[in-house]
Amino acid sequence: MSDENKNCCSPETGEPTATRSSAPMWIIVVTLVLLFTGGLFLDSHSGWFDKNVYAPYQSREQLESIQPKSGEKQLLARGKAVYESVCGICHGSDGLGKPGQAPALAGSEWVMAKGASRLAHIPLAGVAGAIQVGGKDWNMNMAAMGAALPDEDVAAVLTYIRSSWGNKADAVTADDVKKVRAEIGKSPQPYSGSQLLKMPE
Amino acid sequence: MNLTENNENKAICSSEIDASCRLPLLALFGGAALWLVLGLALGIVAMLSFHQPDMFADCSCLTYGHAQTAANDLLLYGFVMPAALGVILWIFARLSQVTLVLPIVPVVAANLWHLGVFVGTVTILFGGSTGHPWLEYPRAAAVLLFAAFMLISVSAAATLGFRTHRELYPSHWFLLAGLLWFVWSYGTANLFLVGNHPPRGVVQAVIGWWLTNNLLFVWLALAGIGIAFYFLPKIVGKPLASSGYALFGFLTLIFFGTWVGIPPSAPVPAWLPTVSAFGALLSIIPVIALGIVAMKTVCCAKVPCVGGSFCFIKFGVLSFVVSSLLYIGEFCPRASRVLDFTWFNVGVTQWQLLGFAGMILCGAIYEILPRVMGKELPFAKLAKLNFFLFAGGTLLFVIPLLIGGVEQGMKLRDANIPFADASAVALKFLRISTTGQLLVLLGALCLLLNILVMTIQWKLGLVKTVVSVVKDSLIEGSAYQPLPGDKEAKS
Amino acid sequence: MKTGFSVFLAAFVALGLSWCGLVYGPLKQLGGAQETTVLQSTDKWPVQRTGDATLGLQVYRANGCAACHTELVHQTGAANVLTLTDIGVHKAADLKDFTTSLLGTVSELTTASNTVVANLAGWNGELPKVIYSGADDTVVSMLGDKFKAVGVKTEARVIATGADIARGWGTRQSVAADYLYDSPVQFGSLRAGPDLANIGVRAPDLNWQLQHLYAPRSLVKNSTMPAFRYLFTVKKIGAQPAPDALVLPKEFSPATGFEVVPTDEARQLAAYLVSLKNNAPLYEAPFTPITAAK
Repeated sequence: MSDENKNCCSPETGEPTATRSSAPMWIIVVTLVLLFTGGLFLDSHSGWFDKNVYAPYQSREQLESIQPKSGEKQLLARGKAVYESVCGICHGSDGLGKPGQAPALAGSEWVMAKGASRLAHIPLAGVAGAIQVGGKDWNMNMAAMGAALPDEDVAAVLTYIRSSWGNKADAVTADDVKKVRAEIGKSPQPYSGSQLLKMPE
Repeated sequence: MNLTENNENKAICSSEIDASCRLPLLALFGGAALWLVLGLALGIVAMLSFHQPDMFADCSCLTYGHAQTAANDLLLYGFVMPAALGVILWIFARLSQVTLVLPIVPVVAANLWHLGVFVGTVTILFGGSTGHPWLEYPRAAAVLLFAAFMLISVSAAATLGFRTHRELYPSHWFLLAGLLWFVWSYGTANLFLVGNHPPRGVVQAVIGWWLTNNLLFVWLALAGIGIAFYFLPKIVGKPLASSGYALFGFLTLIFFGTWVGIPPSAPVPAWLPTVSAFGALLSIIPVIALGIVAMKTVCCAKVPCVGGSFCFIKFGVLSFVVSSLLYIGEFCPRASRVLDFTWFNVGVTQWQLLGFAGMILCGAIYEILPRVMGKELPFAKLAKLNFFLFAGGTLLFVIPLLIGGVEQGMKLRDANIPFADASAVALKFLRISTTGQLLVLLGALCLLLNILVMTIQWKLGLVKTVVSVVKDSLIEGSAYQPLPGDKEAKS
Repeated sequence: MKTGFSVFLAAFVALGLSWCGLVYGPLKQLGGAQETTVLQSTDKWPVQRTGDATLGLQVYRANGCAACHTELVHQTGAANVLTLTDIGVHKAADLKDFTTSLLGTVSELTTASNTVVANLAGWNGELPKVIYSGADDTVVSMLGDKFKAVGVKTEARVIATGADIARGWGTRQSVAADYLYDSPVQFGSLRAGPDLANIGVRAPDLNWQLQHLYAPRSLVKNSTMPAFRYLFTVKKIGAQPAPDALVLPKEFSPATGFEVVPTDEARQLAAYLVSLKNNAPLYEAPFTPITAAK
């Protein structure tokens, strides 16, 4: 300040100044930690910006699973559960199968047959030997995976595979399964592809 | 006019700067103090409905729904905003070392602003509220407030533009951002919600929450901390400590703080409250960082604090840290299960408005007024009393609300406890809280009295001043020019 | 932060980002929302208000009712619940053992933390009895089959949980679709009074609403609600009493020869309150309505 100023001004400390320094490391580290924690929280609770997901639901899947089931929906949900615990290990939860292990169910002509009778034989009795699926030859050795399941579960899982991954075919009822089970009898023997082809669809 | 003078004669003396702010500041502060008193009184009237439910059964204007809304808006738009704008103008002029550019503009703006607040308050009391929280003022009032803010911003920005030192001081960051903040958020919210074609459904509420957070958390922090960072170093006579913290706090505040606002129980898709919770978590950083700057600046200072401005501002900064952390807590999903829809939120808001912004602004006004008017406060003792009434009153007002809110929330959460019990538990806390409100009101009266008497004294001495202007051509300048504006300054 | 421009730019970018996220984003996502369909039904939701109820929203706004009341139900969870409804020919004691052994297998099956398996120790056969509540719907259907096989009837339902729902304030949480036709949307932020999102379900009687507005304590003993007498006119009974005059208990009624008649505003407000219902199951807030359950 100039002398001239001192004459006309009341004594006053000058305008404040600031010491120069940079932000300390610790606060940057804390910020990064909080960013990471917040990111995890965002990932788990945001429902990924879905407009239908409201807290307390955290994802679309969770919301789907809590929907009240009626008729077909309930059948499908049950079929999905059975499929994933019993069939999905080999056929894959995406229904695409595993090379050398199990053929794809998605798009398979066996699965989408008009009737479900032939198809129902496969889980109830198993498959052994040559079978052609989707133009590819397979040498199968599938056990009777569905033999121990109740009729409702087999019907549900068949309905599920017939209407998932782009497949479209009619639902299967527990009565259908019951008939096929009676046909096979108490001690099921695995069928081969040619045997199966002889059966009505 | 005086602009060229300023540029030629760079080292302008501070009393001249102060004098150039006299009219706009009197207009802004005088109105602010009046609205503060009215707002607090209306707040007490509103609370009466809880002590005696049928008190206003035949009088619609004073029921809780009307009076509380009007009182809240009076505190924010009537008191905090104009007072902060006045302080900002003065700080900008001082830091720029130039006289206020276009001093007549803020005088006009102040009157527009007060007119807006008046129109808004009356409309709310007679049932014309828009129904959007913190945006209740009708279109006419909102336009007035917006125009007035723009005018004051122009004057402030011009003053900043003519500054002698090019480098910005930390307060500049906060206050400059604050000017932009209000214009944008208030403008957006009003365009969407008070305009002709409001969006459908819950989007209205989302925009409302966005605005509320931007005003009550970000804007108050920007203005309050910006002002505190100017006065604290000035009072203790030390430079502001650790500007690195300040810069970091500023950036994190504006980048993260502005995402807060959507309450966890809002009926909107989960991502909105989750994003807000994320922002709230990160907002802890600026609160702590800015608190550290203030603490480091103040610590070891041998400045007595007996109810003066220093006390006000220290209390304000402390309130900032505590109230902001409580505010952030509201957005934690787990805490919100207890705190949502309780008096806790009311308490936090009042703490932010009165304990933080109100305290810092009172301190700033008491610091500025003697300089601007060129004489001591008429009732310096009342100013001290004001501090103790304000500090004690705010705590007595807010803390019962916080405790009562938590207790109410615990009871609301347990469905086996009848709802009436949950409400009743809050009532006994409300009784203490209203006592606190009364103390704050008394404190506000001290402020009003000081400003009022100072204005009257100044008006009486005006004739003498005019004579001295004629006599002494040296002091002739912008300071005593706008005589036509004198009458407007009354409001 | 050396120049004014850099400060301006930082503030502009910061506020702009949040504007995009919290104003533009929701506007894009929810601003164009249309009516949705009620779950397992073809009914549209929400139902648009008509006549007095539409005007009542503005009375609600003008009087600042939202200062003390919320209009939103909060939910903290959801569960698949299996309830025993008919035990057929079985005796409670026999079924107890059967159920307990069944449930024993369930707790191994499910790992969900919010699973509640009923404790049947003190059960004497009273119905309906909730025996399982948890997130896993396959467990519910499996248990249901097992009971069906032995001739026991059960009911599987999806319910929303939380304090608000336990208080009877709603059957599910409020979601954006409920407010589609509200303008202004008034959620409220303080529960000095009870939540009103479903007051039209709890108190569907217009006369009850009117009397409650005029003299809250004549209907709810401990109510802290202020009386809204200014929404009513007290006038001398003419040749015949007005048909819409309130029927009040003695201590709340005006002097003899006078009657209390609601103004248009009061009628509109009551109509609005009666129209408040957030009780249809929606995809984003599912539950099994009681009427639809078998």
